[in-house]
Amino acid sequence: MPDENGSRDSGRTDVMELWRGWLTETERQWNTFFNEVMGTDSFGRLAGGYMDAYAVIQRGLNQGMDRYLNTFNLPTHSDIAELGERLHNIEERLASIEANISNLAAASGVTTTASVTQLRPARTRRPRSTNSPKA
Amino acid sequence: MASVRPPDVNKLLEAAQGRVQRNVRRAQSGLDLLLAREQPPVGVTPKDVIYSRGTLRLYHYRPLTNEVYRVPVVFIMSLVSKPWILDLTPGQSFVEHMLRQGFDVFMVDWGIPRPEDKRLKFEDYVLDFMPRCFEQVQKATGEPDYSLLGYCMGGMFGLMYKGIYPEAPVTNLVCAATPVDMDGMGLFRRWSDRAHLDVDRVVEAMGNIAPDLMLRSFEMLRPMDRWMGYVRLIDRLWDPTFVYGYRVMYKWTTEQIPFPGEVYRQFIRELMWENKLMKNTLTLAGRRVDLKAITCPVLHVMAEHDHIAPYPSTRPLTSLVGSDDKEDVVLKGGHVSLVAGKNAVARLWPKVAEWLSERSL
Repeated sequence: MPDENGSRDSGRTDVMELWRGWLTETERQWNTFFNEVMGTDSFGRLAGGYMDAYAVIQRGLNQGMDRYLNTFNLPTHSDIAELGERLHNIEERLASIEANISNLAAASGVTTTASVTQLRPARTRRPRSTNSPKA
Repeated sequence: MASVRPPDVNKLLEAAQGRVQRNVRRAQSGLDLLLAREQPPVGVTPKDVIYSRGTLRLYHYRPLTNEVYRVPVVFIMSLVSKPWILDLTPGQSFVEHMLRQGFDVFMVDWGIPRPEDKRLKFEDYVLDFMPRCFEQVQKATGEPDYSLLGYCMGGMFGLMYKGIYPEAPVTNLVCAATPVDMDGMGLFRRWSDRAHLDVDRVVEAMGNIAPDLMLRSFEMLRPMDRWMGYVRLIDRLWDPTFVYGYRVMYKWTTEQIPFPGEVYRQFIRELMWENKLMKNTLTLAGRRVDLKAITCPVLHVMAEHDHIAPYPSTRPLTSLVGSDDKEDVVLKGGHVSLVAGKNAVARLWPKVAEWLSERSL
């Protein structure tokens, strides 16, 4: 005799599986539909128009905010970006000095590698397969 | 008259207990999600930053084996997203897998572009940042050569670098989901058509391309994914493994980063509109990216159902390079499941590790 509870459970599972299958199929169909719509020239024009509008609004907001912040003698986004750029240049110069010192140290035989990377494992590993290297 | 057997009370109780437990788990997971509690750890494989410059970080992962292959492997991330997709979470990390297989692993993380990075161009990445990183890899390993593994746009960087510096000691080049033929980019190609998109106006107004705009454009490729994802989550809320995986991937998807403005302009003009990588006519700072000059072994892994870098856009890659030892692998899955998740664990990771191991001696 089949287990009454078990068959009820498997029946419920089947329904859920059917529903999940339907969900996946529905998702695929809707995605295909939207992709077809969004692949048209008119949608392309619409997207381009949206990007244009986004750019115009962004520019307008930036300019408005700059005026507002200037009135209150506060730094604007471009001021902060400029400061960031100057910091970036300083970092670049420091990196360049660091690289030069490192090169000089290497030339004079001083090791500058970080201690962590000095704990190196042996670089002798071979693949498990017996195939000869192709390189 | 046949006797009717009474229902087994113990079984009924067990079933009821199972239902209650499942619903308790469902409620608990729902609360965790709503309150953003117990965020899964991501990108936590132990590593050292061995080089940094601006937002760029070069990571050296700590080896997990006593013996490693002679040639180190350098992961190059895309500019589009955060790099921890390649080091997702313990037990589900591509980086961790490669370390366990005995590779010495590095990763170039471009970081989150700052407003001032809007001026960065392909030239900065390929002719300046990448060579400096590889010098550091050489110093850290003491080995002259290295393998490159680029994901998505990272693969394009690998191709550009090796195409400009054919003499560079790149032992192997692995490209995963790397588009080269922009005519095959599907909806992205249509949306960015020069008839519709005024790229100069966009870049000049925005500087870096806003993360929200990037995220929405990716989501529009499969508009139902997010909503169906929510439905599936509610359905499987009782399953901790599913919820964990969902949270990790949701975090990665929604943590979109800005895209450097000048690179965007170049990408649209030179790659999308002119398709210069495919035509082998791309130049950076007057130097030609000659893909035919790439003669090192090349492995190219593509996803069959990739909606971001569709199969037609990735397929021609190996036909463009001059290598004799080259291999195309088409795996089931999408753009992300190619490199992360159960699909990747079973398919991509073992393939890459096996292919590189024979060529990293």
